Amino acid sequence: MIPIDRYPKEITLRDNTLVTLRPMIAGDAESLWSFLRQLPEIDKAHFHEDVDRREVVERWAKALDYDAVLPILAMRGDCVSGSATLYRNRTGWKQRIGIVRILIAPDVRHLGLGTAMIREIRHLGEKLALNYLLAEVIEEQQAAVRALERMGFEKAAVYRNFVNDRKGHLHNLVVLLHPMSGLEKDRFF
Amino acid sequence: MSCPICGREHSSSPGRGRRTPAKEGTCPYKGVAYVELRAGHDQIYFGRWRRMDASSIDLRKAYRQLERLLREIAAALETEDIPAARMDLEKAFEALNTAGSGEEGPESLRYMDHALSYAHRVIGDLLHEKGLPPHSPADFAGWYDAGEVPFREDW
Repeated sequence: MIPIDRYPKEITLRDNTLVTLRPMIAGDAESLWSFLRQLPEIDKAHFHEDVDRREVVERWAKALDYDAVLPILAMRGDCVSGSATLYRNRTGWKQRIGIVRILIAPDVRHLGLGTAMIREIRHLGEKLALNYLLAEVIEEQQAAVRALERMGFEKAAVYRNFVNDRKGHLHNLVVLLHPMSGLEKDRFF
Repeated sequence: MSCPICGREHSSSPGRGRRTPAKEGTCPYKGVAYVELRAGHDQIYFGRWRRMDASSIDLRKAYRQLERLLREIAAALETEDIPAARMDLEKAFEALNTAGSGEEGPESLRYMDHALSYAHRVIGDLLHEKGLPPHSPADFAGWYDAGEVPFREDW
């Protein structure tokens, strides 16, 4: 069962800004699109599609499936200030691995929202009995790398000149893993 | 429970995450959530045991303070459903046990440091569950007359 009964959840940032965390709903397409457009290019590099195109985001909003992709949005009023998405495979050899993507609006960075989002995803990962959370970050996103490490993610690999941004420039990719508490119980061989 | 810093009874209200603006002589932890955990953490964080001239007495004292802090965190966690925090607390106890009571040397210091970091993360989890910002020792550094405050960074 997906533990979304904890939402909406209000949190206070360092500057006393109130933010509400909740799963994305179909009506969020417009505010999510606005949020994505204000992100620096490097933060959008991992998307398979051009998220500056409104129809792409609208299609996501119509096709929400929390079992496979659980996007938690950080809302300030009607505006999206951040998102933390947990991707899961329901079957197959990676069904106990959750892939994490966290995006934070430039105007609320360094206020603790990114860390709060990591805490949320860790909580969801535990409740979903995952064995690992996996985060992939471009090496230049140092604040994100450090925040993930402080929250228990460990650098598993750095792939040199491995991924390209939307302009074709190559970047190092950092892969971080967070072992979950159920992992030890699952080691049966 | 009395504040480990000033010895007074502060009400620990989960709804209050920010410290009261410090006046001369006023305990800066007055009114903050999880006051005993945060003050207990900082007492160790800014403690003498981390200084270059720390003695074995300082180290043993810090070990006992850490032991006490972890027990208090465990008590606070009992009523909360935060599996990630429980795992971190286990790791904190593990690190503290590896450090070995009263032993000196860089290995011991390193493990005590790890235990304190895990404890800090659990305190952050407890605060997050109440919707509050994480605890930052830098906010209270003035009280300890800390010459140099380690980095403070958030994302």
